[in-house]
Amino acid sequence: MALIFIRTAVIFITLLAVMRLMGKSQIGEMQPFEFVITLLIAELACIPMADSSIPLLYGIVSIVTIFILHQIIWLLDLWFKPMKTVICGKPSVVINRDGVDYYQLKKNNLDVSDLVESMRAAGYFNLDDVYYGLYEANGSFSALEKESKGEEKNSLPLLLVDSGKADKKNLAKCGLGREEFYGFLKSQNARERDVLAMTVNPEGRVYFQKKGEKYKILKLKVEKTW
Amino acid sequence: MVKSISYTLAAIALCVGLFIFYEWYLNKQFTEFSDAVETLYEKTENRTANREDGYAVKTMWADKKAKLNVFIPHNDISYVDYWLSEACGHIYAGDYEGALPKVEVLREISVNLPHAYSIRLENVF
Repeated sequence: MALIFIRTAVIFITLLAVMRLMGKSQIGEMQPFEFVITLLIAELACIPMADSSIPLLYGIVSIVTIFILHQIIWLLDLWFKPMKTVICGKPSVVINRDGVDYYQLKKNNLDVSDLVESMRAAGYFNLDDVYYGLYEANGSFSALEKESKGEEKNSLPLLLVDSGKADKKNLAKCGLGREEFYGFLKSQNARERDVLAMTVNPEGRVYFQKKGEKYKILKLKVEKTW
Repeated sequence: MVKSISYTLAAIALCVGLFIFYEWYLNKQFTEFSDAVETLYEKTENRTANREDGYAVKTMWADKKAKLNVFIPHNDISYVDYWLSEACGHIYAGDYEGALPKVEVLREISVNLPHAYSIRLENVF
Protein backbone atom coordinates (compact mmCIF):
# COMPACT_ATOMS: atom_id res chain seq x y z
CA MET A 1 0.00 0.00 0.00
CA ALA A 2 2.93 2.32 0.76
CA LEU A 3 4.05 1.43 -2.74
CA ILE A 4 0.85 2.94 -4.16
CA PHE A 5 1.50 6.08 -2.09
CA ILE A 6 5.06 6.40 -3.41
CA ARG A 7 4.04 5.68 -7.00
CA THR A 8 1.27 8.28 -6.85
CA ALA A 9 3.68 10.83 -5.36
CA VAL A 10 6.26 10.12 -8.09
CA ILE A 11 3.68 10.61 -10.85
CA PHE A 12 2.35 13.74 -9.16
CA ILE A 13 5.79 15.33 -8.85
CA THR A 14 6.71 14.37 -12.43
CA LEU A 15 3.49 15.85 -13.82
CA LEU A 16 3.93 19.00 -11.75
CA ALA A 17 7.50 19.46 -13.01
CA VAL A 18 6.40 18.92 -16.62
CA MET A 19 3.53 21.38 -16.26
CA ARG A 20 5.90 23.98 -14.83
CA LEU A 21 8.36 23.39 -17.69
CA MET A 22 5.61 23.69 -20.30
CA GLY A 23 4.96 27.25 -19.24
CA LYS A 24 1.78 29.19 -18.86
CA SER A 25 0.24 28.34 -22.20
CA GLN A 26 -0.63 24.83 -20.96
CA ILE A 27 -2.26 25.76 -17.70
CA GLY A 28 -5.17 28.11 -18.22
CA GLU A 29 -6.67 29.65 -15.11
CA MET A 30 -5.40 27.05 -12.63
CA GLN A 31 -2.31 26.80 -10.50
CA PRO A 32 0.01 24.09 -11.92
CA PHE A 33 -0.55 21.76 -8.99
CA GLU A 34 -4.32 22.21 -9.23
CA PHE A 35 -4.14 21.33 -12.89
CA VAL A 36 -2.09 18.20 -12.11
CA ILE A 37 -4.62 17.17 -9.47
CA THR A 38 -7.45 17.64 -11.97
CA LEU A 39 -5.59 15.47 -14.46
CA LEU A 40 -4.89 12.71 -11.96
CA ILE A 41 -7.94 12.52 -9.79
CA ALA A 42 -10.41 11.49 -12.49
CA GLU A 43 -8.20 8.63 -13.63
CA LEU A 44 -7.43 7.54 -10.08
CA ALA A 45 -11.11 7.35 -9.32
CA CYS A 46 -12.12 5.71 -12.60
CA ILE A 47 -9.57 2.93 -13.03
CA PRO A 48 -10.25 0.93 -9.83
CA MET A 49 -13.96 1.64 -10.29
CA ALA A 50 -14.10 0.23 -13.81
CA ASP A 51 -11.46 -2.51 -13.52
CA SER A 52 -12.69 -5.10 -11.05
CA SER A 53 -9.26 -6.77 -10.89
CA ILE A 54 -7.84 -3.75 -9.04
CA PRO A 55 -8.83 -3.47 -5.37
CA LEU A 56 -10.85 -0.34 -4.68
CA LEU A 57 -8.50 0.33 -1.80
CA TYR A 58 -5.74 1.17 -4.31
CA GLY A 59 -7.87 3.99 -5.73
CA ILE A 60 -8.77 5.22 -2.26
CA VAL A 61 -5.12 5.28 -1.15
CA SER A 62 -4.10 7.14 -4.34
CA ILE A 63 -6.82 9.75 -3.85
CA VAL A 64 -5.87 10.23 -0.18
CA THR A 65 -2.23 10.58 -1.34
CA ILE A 66 -3.28 13.36 -3.71
CA PHE A 67 -5.14 15.03 -0.85
CA ILE A 68 -2.06 14.85 1.40
CA LEU A 69 0.22 16.20 -1.36
CA HIS A 70 -2.26 19.01 -2.06
CA GLN A 71 -2.30 19.97 1.61
CA ILE A 72 1.51 19.84 1.85
CA ILE A 73 1.87 22.08 -1.21
CA TRP A 74 -0.74 24.45 0.18
CA LEU A 75 1.16 24.69 3.48
CA LEU A 76 4.49 25.18 1.70
CA ASP A 77 2.81 27.94 -0.31
CA LEU A 78 1.76 29.69 2.87
CA TRP A 79 4.87 29.24 4.96
CA PHE A 80 7.81 29.30 2.54
CA LYS A 81 7.48 31.98 -0.12
CA PRO A 82 10.41 30.72 -2.26
CA MET A 83 8.60 27.39 -2.54
CA LYS A 84 5.55 29.17 -3.95
CA THR A 85 7.68 30.38 -6.87
CA VAL A 86 9.11 26.91 -7.42
CA ILE A 87 5.77 25.11 -7.29
CA CYS A 88 3.39 27.65 -8.78
CA GLY A 89 5.73 29.89 -10.76
CA LYS A 90 5.52 33.68 -10.81
CA PRO A 91 3.81 36.24 -13.03
CA SER A 92 5.62 37.11 -16.28
CA VAL A 93 5.51 40.67 -17.54
CA VAL A 94 5.29 40.13 -21.29
CA ILE A 95 4.45 43.74 -22.21
CA ASN A 96 6.24 46.64 -20.61
CA ARG A 97 6.73 50.28 -21.55
CA ASP A 98 9.16 49.23 -24.30
CA GLY A 99 6.62 46.91 -25.87
CA VAL A 100 6.60 43.14 -26.07
CA ASP A 101 9.23 41.34 -24.01
CA TYR A 102 10.50 38.61 -26.32
CA TYR A 103 12.56 36.90 -23.59
CA GLN A 104 9.55 36.51 -21.29
CA LEU A 105 7.41 35.21 -24.14
CA LYS A 106 9.98 32.55 -25.05
CA LYS A 107 10.42 31.64 -21.40
CA ASN A 108 6.72 30.79 -21.27
CA ASN A 109 6.72 28.98 -24.61
CA LEU A 110 4.53 31.62 -26.21
CA ASP A 111 4.77 33.69 -29.36
CA VAL A 112 3.35 37.05 -30.37
CA SER A 113 0.19 35.52 -31.86
CA ASP A 114 -0.54 33.81 -28.50
CA LEU A 115 -0.09 37.17 -26.80
CA VAL A 116 -2.36 38.93 -29.31
CA GLU A 117 -4.98 36.21 -28.73
CA SER A 118 -4.78 36.63 -24.94
CA MET A 119 -5.06 40.40 -25.33
CA ARG A 120 -8.11 40.11 -27.55
CA ALA A 121 -9.73 37.78 -25.01
CA ALA A 122 -9.06 40.44 -22.36
CA GLY A 123 -10.58 43.17 -24.58
CA TYR A 124 -7.41 44.77 -25.97
CA PHE A 125 -7.03 44.72 -29.72
CA ASN A 126 -3.81 46.71 -30.10
CA LEU A 127 -0.48 45.71 -28.63
CA ASP A 128 -0.01 49.31 -27.44
CA ASP A 129 -3.39 49.47 -25.67
CA VAL A 130 -1.69 48.59 -22.39
CA TYR A 131 1.24 49.86 -20.38
CA TYR A 132 1.88 46.47 -18.88
CA GLY A 133 0.59 43.03 -19.77
CA LEU A 134 1.36 39.97 -17.73
CA TYR A 135 0.61 36.31 -17.50
CA GLU A 136 -0.26 35.36 -13.96
CA ALA A 137 1.14 32.16 -12.42
CA ASN A 138 -2.14 30.42 -13.26
CA GLY A 139 -1.82 31.34 -16.96
CA SER A 140 -4.50 34.07 -17.05
CA PHE A 141 -3.72 37.41 -18.69
CA SER A 142 -3.87 40.73 -16.81
CA ALA A 143 -3.13 44.20 -18.11
CA LEU A 144 -2.79 47.81 -17.03
CA GLU A 145 -4.54 49.67 -19.81
CA LYS A 146 -3.56 53.03 -21.26
CA GLU A 147 -5.90 55.99 -21.02
CA SER A 148 -5.77 56.24 -24.81
CA LYS A 149 -6.97 52.64 -25.26
CA GLY A 150 -9.74 52.18 -27.76
CA GLU A 151 -9.23 55.39 -29.74
CA GLU A 152 -9.45 53.33 -32.89
CA LYS A 153 -12.52 51.38 -31.95
CA ASN A 154 -13.61 50.23 -35.37
CA SER A 155 -10.42 48.65 -36.54
CA LEU A 156 -8.96 45.24 -36.09
CA PRO A 157 -5.17 45.11 -36.37
CA LEU A 158 -3.66 42.26 -38.36
CA LEU A 159 -0.45 40.61 -37.26
CA LEU A 160 1.96 40.90 -40.18
CA VAL A 161 5.15 39.70 -38.53
CA ASP A 162 5.31 37.31 -35.61
CA SER A 163 8.73 36.64 -34.05
CA GLY A 164 10.63 37.22 -37.28
CA LYS A 165 8.20 35.48 -39.62
CA ALA A 166 5.89 37.33 -42.00
CA ASP A 167 2.28 36.17 -42.27
CA LYS A 168 1.63 36.01 -46.01
CA LYS A 169 -2.12 35.59 -45.61
CA ASN A 170 -2.40 38.74 -43.53
CA LEU A 171 -0.14 40.62 -45.94
CA ALA A 172 -2.48 39.67 -48.78
CA LYS A 173 -5.52 40.55 -46.67
CA CYS A 174 -4.34 44.11 -46.21
CA GLY A 175 -3.23 44.37 -49.82
CA LEU A 176 0.41 44.82 -49.01
CA GLY A 177 2.67 43.60 -51.80
CA ARG A 178 6.03 41.93 -51.29
CA GLU A 179 7.96 44.97 -52.48
CA GLU A 180 6.01 47.41 -50.37
CA PHE A 181 6.42 45.22 -47.30
CA TYR A 182 10.14 44.70 -47.68
CA GLY A 183 10.51 48.35 -48.67
CA PHE A 184 8.85 49.31 -45.41
CA LEU A 185 11.19 47.02 -43.46
CA LYS A 186 14.16 48.52 -45.28
CA SER A 187 13.01 52.02 -44.39
CA GLN A 188 13.12 50.90 -40.77
CA ASN A 189 16.56 49.41 -41.28
CA ALA A 190 15.26 45.96 -40.37
CA ARG A 191 15.26 42.50 -41.89
CA GLU A 192 12.22 40.23 -41.54
CA ARG A 193 13.91 38.07 -38.92
CA ASP A 194 14.82 41.14 -36.81
CA VAL A 195 11.17 42.11 -36.35
CA LEU A 196 9.52 40.84 -33.20
CA ALA A 197 6.01 42.13 -33.88
CA MET A 198 4.34 44.16 -36.58
CA THR A 199 0.63 44.83 -36.78
CA VAL A 200 -1.35 47.10 -39.01
CA ASN A 201 -4.94 48.31 -38.81
CA PRO A 202 -7.20 49.42 -41.68
CA GLU A 203 -6.22 53.08 -41.12
CA GLY A 204 -2.58 52.16 -41.74
CA ARG A 205 -1.48 52.53 -38.13
CA VAL A 206 1.48 50.22 -37.62
CA TYR A 207 2.81 48.79 -34.39
CA PHE A 208 6.42 47.97 -35.18
CA GLN A 209 8.95 46.45 -32.81
CA LYS A 210 12.37 45.07 -33.56
CA LYS A 211 13.80 42.40 -31.28
CA GLY A 212 15.49 44.00 -28.29
CA GLU A 213 14.22 47.49 -29.12
CA LYS A 214 11.36 49.73 -28.06
CA TYR A 215 8.24 49.64 -30.21
CA LYS A 216 7.29 52.43 -32.63
CA ILE A 217 3.95 53.57 -33.97
CA LEU A 218 4.26 54.25 -37.69
CA LYS A 219 2.07 54.88 -40.70
CA LEU A 220 1.72 52.66 -43.74
CA LYS A 221 -0.57 52.92 -46.71
CA VAL A 222 -2.82 49.88 -46.95
CA GLU A 223 -4.77 49.04 -50.09
CA LYS A 224 -7.59 46.98 -48.67
CA THR A 225 -9.89 47.21 -45.70
CA TRP A 226 -11.10 44.30 -43.58
CA MET B 1 -6.27 26.48 8.94
CA VAL B 2 -6.09 24.38 12.13
CA LYS B 3 -8.90 22.22 10.77
CA SER B 4 -7.06 21.68 7.48
CA ILE B 5 -3.81 20.79 9.22
CA SER B 6 -5.69 18.39 11.50
CA TYR B 7 -7.29 16.68 8.49
CA THR B 8 -3.90 16.40 6.80
CA LEU B 9 -2.27 14.92 9.89
CA ALA B 10 -5.20 12.54 10.32
CA ALA B 11 -4.89 11.44 6.68
CA ILE B 12 -1.13 10.92 7.08
CA ALA B 13 -1.65 8.94 10.30
CA LEU B 14 -4.34 6.85 8.65
CA CYS B 15 -2.09 6.11 5.68
CA VAL B 16 0.92 5.21 7.83
CA GLY B 17 -1.27 2.94 9.97
CA LEU B 18 -2.69 1.30 6.86
CA PHE B 19 0.78 0.79 5.35
CA ILE B 20 2.09 -0.90 8.50
CA PHE B 21 -0.99 -3.08 8.79
CA TYR B 22 -0.82 -3.95 5.08
CA GLU B 23 2.81 -5.10 5.26
CA TRP B 24 2.19 -7.11 8.40
CA TYR B 25 -1.08 -8.65 7.19
CA LEU B 26 0.22 -9.62 3.76
CA ASN B 27 3.36 -11.20 5.20
CA LYS B 28 1.32 -13.10 7.82
CA GLN B 29 -1.17 -14.46 5.27
CA PHE B 30 1.45 -15.52 2.78
CA THR B 31 3.77 -16.99 5.43
CA GLU B 32 0.94 -19.24 6.65
CA PHE B 33 0.01 -20.20 3.12
CA SER B 34 3.63 -20.76 2.19
CA ASP B 35 4.07 -23.12 5.18
CA ALA B 36 1.01 -25.10 4.09
CA VAL B 37 2.31 -25.33 0.52
CA GLU B 38 5.73 -26.38 1.80
CA THR B 39 4.15 -29.23 3.75
CA LEU B 40 2.15 -30.24 0.68
CA TYR B 41 5.36 -30.20 -1.37
CA GLU B 42 7.17 -32.47 1.07
CA LYS B 43 4.22 -34.88 1.14
CA THR B 44 4.01 -34.86 -2.65
CA GLU B 45 7.74 -35.51 -2.89
CA ASN B 46 7.33 -38.44 -0.45
CA ARG B 47 4.25 -39.62 -2.36
CA THR B 48 2.18 -39.45 0.81
CA ALA B 49 -0.02 -36.47 -0.13
CA ASN B 50 -3.68 -37.38 -0.42
CA ARG B 51 -7.05 -35.81 -1.22
CA GLU B 52 -7.41 -34.45 2.34
CA ASP B 53 -4.06 -32.64 2.15
CA GLY B 54 -4.98 -30.96 -1.11
CA TYR B 55 -8.41 -30.13 0.20
CA ALA B 56 -6.93 -28.64 3.41
CA VAL B 57 -4.64 -26.31 1.46
CA LYS B 58 -7.50 -25.33 -0.86
CA THR B 59 -9.78 -24.54 2.07
CA MET B 60 -7.07 -22.51 3.74
CA TRP B 61 -6.46 -20.55 0.56
CA ALA B 62 -10.20 -19.96 -0.01
CA ASP B 63 -10.44 -18.46 3.46
CA LYS B 64 -7.40 -16.26 2.91
CA LYS B 65 -8.28 -15.08 -0.58
CA ALA B 66 -11.65 -13.74 0.58
CA LYS B 67 -9.71 -11.25 2.70
CA LEU B 68 -6.75 -10.77 0.34
CA ASN B 69 -9.10 -9.60 -2.42
CA VAL B 70 -9.33 -6.30 -0.55
CA PHE B 71 -5.57 -5.81 -0.58
CA ILE B 72 -4.01 -7.28 -3.72
CA PRO B 73 -4.99 -7.31 -7.41
CA HIS B 74 -7.46 -10.07 -8.14
CA ASN B 75 -5.38 -11.31 -11.06
CA ASP B 76 -2.62 -12.36 -8.66
CA ILE B 77 -5.17 -14.30 -6.62
CA SER B 78 -6.46 -16.01 -9.77
CA TYR B 79 -2.88 -16.99 -10.53
CA VAL B 80 -2.57 -18.81 -7.21
CA ASP B 81 -6.04 -20.34 -7.76
CA TYR B 82 -4.95 -21.72 -11.11
CA TRP B 83 -1.74 -23.38 -9.92
CA LEU B 84 -3.36 -24.70 -6.76
CA SER B 85 -6.19 -26.31 -8.74
CA GLU B 86 -3.69 -27.86 -11.15
CA ALA B 87 -1.57 -29.27 -8.31
CA CYS B 88 -4.57 -30.60 -6.40
CA GLY B 89 -5.98 -32.18 -9.55
CA HIS B 90 -2.81 -34.22 -9.98
CA ILE B 91 -2.71 -35.14 -6.28
CA TYR B 92 -6.36 -36.30 -6.34
CA ALA B 93 -5.48 -38.53 -9.29
CA GLY B 94 -2.41 -39.85 -7.48
CA ASP B 95 -0.14 -38.41 -10.17
CA TYR B 96 2.74 -37.23 -7.93
CA GLU B 97 5.17 -36.77 -10.83
CA GLY B 98 2.75 -34.32 -12.45
CA ALA B 99 1.84 -32.62 -9.17
CA LEU B 100 5.37 -31.88 -8.02
CA PRO B 101 6.22 -29.16 -10.63
CA LYS B 102 2.85 -27.48 -9.98
CA VAL B 103 3.39 -27.41 -6.22
CA GLU B 104 6.90 -26.11 -6.86
CA VAL B 105 5.44 -23.18 -8.86
CA LEU B 106 2.94 -22.59 -6.07
CA ARG B 107 5.76 -22.58 -3.55
CA GLU B 108 7.62 -19.95 -5.53
CA ILE B 109 4.50 -17.79 -5.93
CA SER B 110 3.64 -17.91 -2.24
CA VAL B 111 7.16 -16.80 -1.34
CA ASN B 112 7.61 -14.15 -4.02
CA LEU B 113 4.14 -12.63 -4.35
CA PRO B 114 4.30 -10.54 -1.14
CA HIS B 115 7.65 -9.09 -2.32
CA ALA B 116 5.82 -7.57 -5.30
CA TYR B 117 3.95 -5.30 -2.88
CA SER B 118 6.82 -4.34 -0.58
CA ILE B 119 8.59 -0.98 -0.83
CA ARG B 120 11.51 -1.60 -3.16
CA LEU B 121 12.96 0.56 -5.87
CA GLU B 122 12.15 -1.98 -8.59
CA ASN B 123 8.53 -2.04 -7.44
CA VAL B 124 8.23 1.74 -7.42
CA PHE B 125 9.30 1.97 -11.05
